[in-house]
This record gives sequence, structure tokens and C-alpha cells, in this order.
Amino acid sequence: MQQDLIWEKLIETFRDVFDEPELIVQSQTTAKDVLDWDSLTHIQLLVALEQVFDVRFNTGEVAGLSDVGAMVELIETKLA
Amino acid sequence: MQELKALIKAGDYESAWQRLLVLTESLVDYTALSALCRIRKKLGESCARPGSRREVRVAVLGGASTELLEGPLQLVMEAQGLDVVMRCSDYNTFAEEILDPTSGTISFKPDVVLLITTAANMPRWPGFGDNLDMVNGIVEEVCDYWLRLCERLHETTSCEIILDNFHAMPSRPTGNLAAKAPWTQNNFLMRVNLRLGEKAPSYVHISDVAQLANQYGVRHWHDARYWFHAKQPVSFTCLLPYVRNSARMVGALYGCAAKCLVLDLDNTLWGGVVGDDGIEGIRIGQGEAVGEAFRAFQEYILTLKQRGVMLAVCSKNEEANALAPFNELPDMVLRRDDFVAFVANWDSKPDNIVTIASQLNIGLNALVFVDDNPAERDHVRQRLPEVRVLELSDDPADYPRLLDDMGYFETLSLSVEDQVRTQQYQENVKRSQLQETAGDYQDYLKSLDQRAVVRPFEKKHLERITQLINKSNQFNLTTLRLSRSQVESMMCDDDYVTAYVRLVDRFGDNGLICVFAGKHVSDVLHIEIWLMSCRVLKRNVEMLLLKHVVAVSRERGIATLRGVYRPTPKNGLVKSLYPTLGFTLLEEAEDEAQKYDLAIDDYTASLLPIEVVDEY
Repeated sequence: MQQDLIWEKLIETFRDVFDEPELIVQSQTTAKDVLDWDSLTHIQLLVALEQVFDVRFNTGEVAGLSDVGAMVELIETKLA
Repeated sequence: MQELKALIKAGDYESAWQRLLVLTESLVDYTALSALCRIRKKLGESCARPGSRREVRVAVLGGASTELLEGPLQLVMEAQGLDVVMRCSDYNTFAEEILDPTSGTISFKPDVVLLITTAANMPRWPGFGDNLDMVNGIVEEVCDYWLRLCERLHETTSCEIILDNFHAMPSRPTGNLAAKAPWTQNNFLMRVNLRLGEKAPSYVHISDVAQLANQYGVRHWHDARYWFHAKQPVSFTCLLPYVRNSARMVGALYGCAAKCLVLDLDNTLWGGVVGDDGIEGIRIGQGEAVGEAFRAFQEYILTLKQRGVMLAVCSKNEEANALAPFNELPDMVLRRDDFVAFVANWDSKPDNIVTIASQLNIGLNALVFVDDNPAERDHVRQRLPEVRVLELSDDPADYPRLLDDMGYFETLSLSVEDQVRTQQYQENVKRSQLQETAGDYQDYLKSLDQRAVVRPFEKKHLERITQLINKSNQFNLTTLRLSRSQVESMMCDDDYVTAYVRLVDRFGDNGLICVFAGKHVSDVLHIEIWLMSCRVLKRNVEMLLLKHVVAVSRERGIATLRGVYRPTPKNGLVKSLYPTLGFTLLEEAEDEAQKYDLAIDDYTASLLPIEVVDEY
């Protein structure tokens, strides 16, 4: 999948999980930057991304994703 | 869901709530569930849920992480018709919350506590190689640990408890040894589950997580990643079944379970269309794949009927064609007399369903509709949003599982009444038929040859009395819901005048159908419970009961009976009961409750067409 498409689907997923249709999500966005991004919504986000991209994050990835840029890269690797 | 969002945007909150809850009832996946939870949160902020319902205070205690379960639990419980006030405790604080009398959970005064625990919370495991006696000793110890915690909780709050049992571990390092060796993890867990089932008191209801996880596969049920990351007790693929299961149990406690299964016939109970294919052409049993699948579905339904669910047919067919398979095909499992209603005509199904509900005297939300035809399902969903419509696949082999998964008929106990319910309803039909032929109504009542037993609450009837208290919605003056132990306290409390009525007539035993409880304070009897099963309306049972209560009250020196009518959306039936029985309206309170008084001296007994007997 092209990175553009990954970004598109990822941003849509974020907006859906956080219920923020105008949410801005960029490569360096982290939990601190988004209201309501806590440990709970983090898990909901991962579950949603797994379903949208049909990928599976392993235990280390589930616990350790730092910023959105890292997420996109990880998804890209898994889809390759 | 788009429709739901549109309703909210338009500000039509009442319809939005209705749509939200209907969608929740028929949910099948987690993503949709979390979306609906988010919507519910927002909607709740704009507008409280309209209408009044039974409020249930639910405390969630977790040995595992419960945060991701809270929203879904609340929503799914609300979709059953309950108003839920929920309090969740911090991770793994269940023991402190139970044992500390000043804890938040205790102060919250819960009606129900969900105790969400896993094998990780097991206080003790057998040692490697322990023999059977030693393992059984540890099983007892462990069961006592859990049940004593429940006992303590129940003593301090009188709550009902829903306790999760323990599913198998996802791996088995001892391999097949576990089938024989009691000290192995999975063998031990099976023993604990069995023993918990045996020893649990009536206020502890076991949520059979072990069985659920078996059905979905422990590998799907348990997601190791999220367990290690966040102590999540159930995977996201199985979160909805888990939540639905617990919610159904809470619903069953408060009278939300469905009571009647309304079934289509063609391609629902058998393969093919009997009107076109004839009884030789339809597929049922006969060692043929599709026929066997339908047969298995009939067997599943028969078990439901045997444990108290009423069955009804609603089919578009000539009646003779619809009946033929039941009468003539040996491979049919269900027979005509397994059904309390059999409607085969060309009228619209929603209309027929409304008729069935009124014939059985139950609300539309007590009905579940099963039909292979998506157009019929949709028609019923549109016209009768209260009726629960099961979504079917195109494969009859799936039908039992699909019905099972929804858990519409969850029940927490089985009474003798449940096992004879169909028979009782059929006897009622005979009574109606007699009424049509009898001339004067009083003559009809006399010809019924009614006999009644009227006595204070007794231990052997506690189960049924509690069941009635929690299930009756229509002939129910106060809609006071009580747990079994609360009913038991009333029974033993000398300040209470309690009574139940059992009624038999020439067509059969109606069973225990009326419950009364009043508190004697100085010279007034305050009526706290007065309810009756709708099966015995207009038989003068309420007058019989009043006669009995007046007699008992006179003996106790009571001068006044004070009744209160608390209106609900479902009990309009008894709005004028008190005035009809000779009570005078005292006052109408702020919450619309109406208080009535009857001076014992003003009461005149009349001759009633029911003979009071000691036993029958």
C-alpha cells in the first residue's frame, strides 16, 4: 500500500476513534498532543488500526509505539 | 449508524436514544460497539435518556482490567431496558473494596456487583504432583475464598453478585496428562468451576466464562498481547459476547429477559416451502444434511420450551398446510402442542405479532422474532422496534448458535412454574373458549370451579415469589424489586404481613400467581408489594386477597390499609385498582404516586367464586 493511502486511512481511523472530524494528525503527533489519547483510547486505536489494515501488532509494538510517524512506518513494513 | 448520527445532528434526541439502543441489541462486532459507546457518551451529555425505568446500581470489581469493559457494559445493559448507574473500582482492588466497610463500593450501595476475575487471581494452585485428596482440599479452599468474599459483600450491601468462573489456560505444558492429573492447571480449574457451581448460594450467579471461552476457543478469547500490556481479561473479538453475557444476567435479575419465541415456519423450522413443496418435499431430518440442520434447530428450541420459554408460530401459510408437518412427519421434533400460539394466515406479520403478544398478555419487548426472510425481519423491525428480531445467516446449521449468542432468554434459576408454563398457557386458552360459550360472566367464573390456597410466604415458594416480584410489570402496584434474600427477610419479619395465592380450577393448576406484602406500623398496614400474574386477571383473585388481608389485619389490630400506586409505563392496568376495591384517594404525591386508604371497618366482604382451601 502507498504511504499516502496509509496516512489517509490512519487519519480517518484516528478521527473516528477520537470522534474529532477535524483532528490534525502528523508524523510527530504523540499522545500528549491529542485530548483524550490515554492508555484506554490507545488500545482502542491499535485495535481499530489492526482491523482497518488487517495487520497484527506484536506485544512489543502494542506497548511501545511512540509517535504517529512510527505507527505509519510499522504498518507500512507489515503490509510490504 | 449513519441514520443515528443524522438524528443526533438534527437534535431529535428521543429518537436517537431509541435507535441507539435498538442498534446495540443487535450488535455483532466490537468496532461497531466502540463506535456506539462513543455516540452514547456524547448523546448522554446532550440529553438524558427519556422515559423512566428501573434504576440498577452496578458496581464493577476487577481482578483484571475493567476500564475497556465499562462503556460497553453500561450500553448493553441500557439496551435491555435498564437505567444503569455504574461505579468501577481501580484495577485489582476487589479484595479491599469488599473487605473495607468504608470502601467506595460499599458506600455506593450497589444492587448488583460484577466480579470480573481470571485465573491470575487464583489465591492458590495445587503443587506439582499433588494427589486427588490434596487437590480437592485446595479446590475447597479456593472456593471458600471466593464465596466468602461474596458473602461479605452480600452481608454489607444485600447485593446480588455475578461472579466470573475460570476458563482454561491458553497453553497446556502438561499436554494430555491434564485429562487425568488433578494437579495440572486446567484440570484444577475445571474442578474449581464445578465446585463453585455446587456451592454458590442463591445470591451468587455464576457467569460461565469457561463455557463461553470454550465456544469461542480460548485462543480467541484470550489475547496474550493485551493481557501482558494492560491485563485485559478478554480479547476484543470476544468482548461483545462477554459483555452481552454479563448484561443478560443483570437483565434477567430485573425482568428484562424475553419470554416468547415467535417462529416462522418455511426455511426457518424446515427446509423448503410447505405450501409449494408439500409435506413430502420439505426437508426435516431424514438423514439429509439440510434436514438434519433444521432438526437440530428444532431440538434446540424444544429445550428452550422445556425450561420455560413460550413458543409461537407466525407463518404466511394456509393453516392446514402449516399444521400438516407437525401432525404427519415423524422427523419433526416440535409438535403442535409445544406452541402456545399458532398463527398461520396471510396477514402482515407485525399485526400477527401484536395479536400474539396481547393473547399471551405480555409486552412486545418480551418477544423474539425469528424468520429466514430478511424482508419480513425488516418489516417487523420497522413497525415494532420493541420486538427483538434475530439476524439469521443463510445456513440453518448456524441458527442454534445465532439464537444462543444473543442470550435473549437468559434465566438465573429454574422454577417448577417454568417447566409447566406452556401447559398453563394452553389451559388458559381452554378457559377463554369456555368463557365464550358461558353466558353471564359470573356464571363462567362459577363454572371454573376455582380453588385457592392463600398463605404467608413460605420457604418452599421463595423462588417463585422472588421470580414474580422481579418479572411482573403489568399487574404490579409498586414495581418494587427485591432479591431473594430480601424476600426471605420479609418472610421472617413479624412486622410484615405477607401472602401468596395459588389458584387451581377445573382446567388445571395456575400455580402461584399473586404476591402481597405489607408492613404493620402502629395501626396501619402499608402495602409494599401487590402483584399478580396477568394469566389470572378478572378472576376475582385480587378481591380474594383483599378479603384475606382484611381478616389478618383485623386480628392484628390494624385499622387502616394504606396502598400506594406508582405509575410506570407498563402498569396502567392497575391505575384504578384501589378505588375499584373501595379505597379512598388520600393524596397524589410529587412523583405522581397515588396514596389510598381503606378503613378496615368500612370493608364489606362479598361472596366470591373462589373457594379457599388448605391444599389442592
